[in-house]
Amino acid sequence: MSDEKKVMLRISDVSMRFRKEEDHAGSLKETVINMFAGRLKFTEFYALQHVSFDVYKGDVLGIIGRNGAGKSTILKIISGIMKPTAGSVERYGNIVPMLELGSGFDMDLSGRENVFLNGAILGYEKEFLHSKYDEILAFSELQDFINMPLRNYSSGMIMRLAFSIATVVEPEILIVDEILAVGDENFQRKSRARMMELMSGGTTVLFVSHDMNQIREMCNRVVWLDGGTVRLQGECREVCDQYKL
Amino acid sequence: MTNIDLKRTEKYAFLIYLAAVVLFTVGAWDRIFTGSVFGLRFLWIYPALVLLAALFLFLYIGRMKRCQKSGRKCAGLFFLQTMHKYRFLIEQLVERDFKIKYKRSVLGAFWSFLNPLLMMTVQYVVFSHLLNIRGNTEHYAIYLLCGIVMWNGFNDCSTQSMRSITSNAALITKVYVPKYIYPVTRVLSASINIVLSMIPLLLVTTVYGLFSTPHLYLSKAVCLIPFGLLMMLVFCVGMGFFLSSLMVFFHDIEFLWGFVSTLWMYATPIIYSLSMFEEKGIMWFVKLEQFNPLYHYIQFIRTIVLERQSPAFSEYGICLAFSLGLFLLGFFMFRKVQDRFILYL
Repeated sequence: MSDEKKVMLRISDVSMRFRKEEDHAGSLKETVINMFAGRLKFTEFYALQHVSFDVYKGDVLGIIGRNGAGKSTILKIISGIMKPTAGSVERYGNIVPMLELGSGFDMDLSGRENVFLNGAILGYEKEFLHSKYDEILAFSELQDFINMPLRNYSSGMIMRLAFSIATVVEPEILIVDEILAVGDENFQRKSRARMMELMSGGTTVLFVSHDMNQIREMCNRVVWLDGGTVRLQGECREVCDQYKL
Repeated sequence: MTNIDLKRTEKYAFLIYLAAVVLFTVGAWDRIFTGSVFGLRFLWIYPALVLLAALFLFLYIGRMKRCQKSGRKCAGLFFLQTMHKYRFLIEQLVERDFKIKYKRSVLGAFWSFLNPLLMMTVQYVVFSHLLNIRGNTEHYAIYLLCGIVMWNGFNDCSTQSMRSITSNAALITKVYVPKYIYPVTRVLSASINIVLSMIPLLLVTTVYGLFSTPHLYLSKAVCLIPFGLLMMLVFCVGMGFFLSSLMVFFHDIEFLWGFVSTLWMYATPIIYSLSMFEEKGIMWFVKLEQFNPLYHYIQFIRTIVLERQSPAFSEYGICLAFSLGLFLLGFFMFRKVQDRFILYL
């Protein structure tokens, strides 16, 4: 298909097993003893089973599937938050996750302090943040509010700030978990334009959404997850048409 | 992994080493001058030891340089590279923890000075005048203050770092960052308080010493305070690793620790002194205290401030053993279970 393209991510045979502890918890002492003796009883279930796909440079890969199909789990494994039970993920570039905007914000700090805190969490360099600070401020349209503590912000303002910080970089791999609709209509248009700009700028994007129109509009390839396995993967149109059925 | 400037690291490493040697030599001069090991005067061995350690430092940095060039693995290099990569994050997290603590208070960081003083005043009045626990402890107020400052530092560090994983759950489940960073940054931000609280300790000692009989004055032994603090902080990091990883699996630890730390506090000679037990002939308790790390850390500072001299060299050994012991224990335990955190948060 696109052999000459550079592989950015190689997900090979990834399985993720979760354990559900059985109901009778017992006393703390019992649990501790059992834990060290490795005797806790579990019921197991697989959130992902033998999932493999490659992501090439410049791809905008959509991941679709019903609730509980394993979409978030595969994103967490790709970004390194979870370790898969089996299989491996090879990463050839820096990853910036945009999973739930603003999760690193601290409500007691000012907007300005949060720009640096959140930027550091996302792995940006100090010098880079200093040089891009004005750009972030301008994009977020927060102006005078930037020195106020975040707890006085409206939820829309927080989202705008988070989006501005997350998209100021041009990461090699961007992971997006349904965040395109942020703020008021005007800002939504702006953020959508910014996303488009990022995606067309050679960034590789992994994109999870339930909005099939967005998927059709933005992605060139799609992976359809169903019950923890890859049901179908391939060109966007093909997979989307199948999924509708 | 990114390449780091090892030349600069080398420069800083030697500067820090030099500063440490100077501080130690000045602070512990009496012990170095009079001490002896295996019949040899310590004064003759000391320069050799200093040079040997410098040589070791030099060789290890050389090894790291070669490893960086050839891309081989090396624990020290890996540590430095990780530190380099995440230094901005560490800086930001420490800053956040410290700012948050006093964010909405009027006096702010001044509480770090005020708190030990207020605590000391209350406890001094209660234990010295009402309950007469002081016994025949000389300079009881200062004795008490040393204990309070060190204990509060330890308690603050361990309680803060215990919650470091659970309270950062929102981050841990969303972004990949080496998880060691969370307990370590908590200890670092709490350590700012400990360092700040050394100022009232030294200040009060100076003022108190002027009006007391016999006079109490600060000697050059205060140069050794940083070593005592550093060893306790390493101990705290180990404690943080241990408690924070347990906390993920058992939230009960939070309540249990409240009880255990209170018990530990009363089991440590902070308000009373061991000589009281010696007088009464309760020797098992005195022996038991030898296994209490906090007793050694507190005694370390007391020797410096009250006896105006360096602790015995064996004390350094004991403190260091406790620090490194718990640090390594905590570290390996943390490393073993950290991949499972995400499933329980």
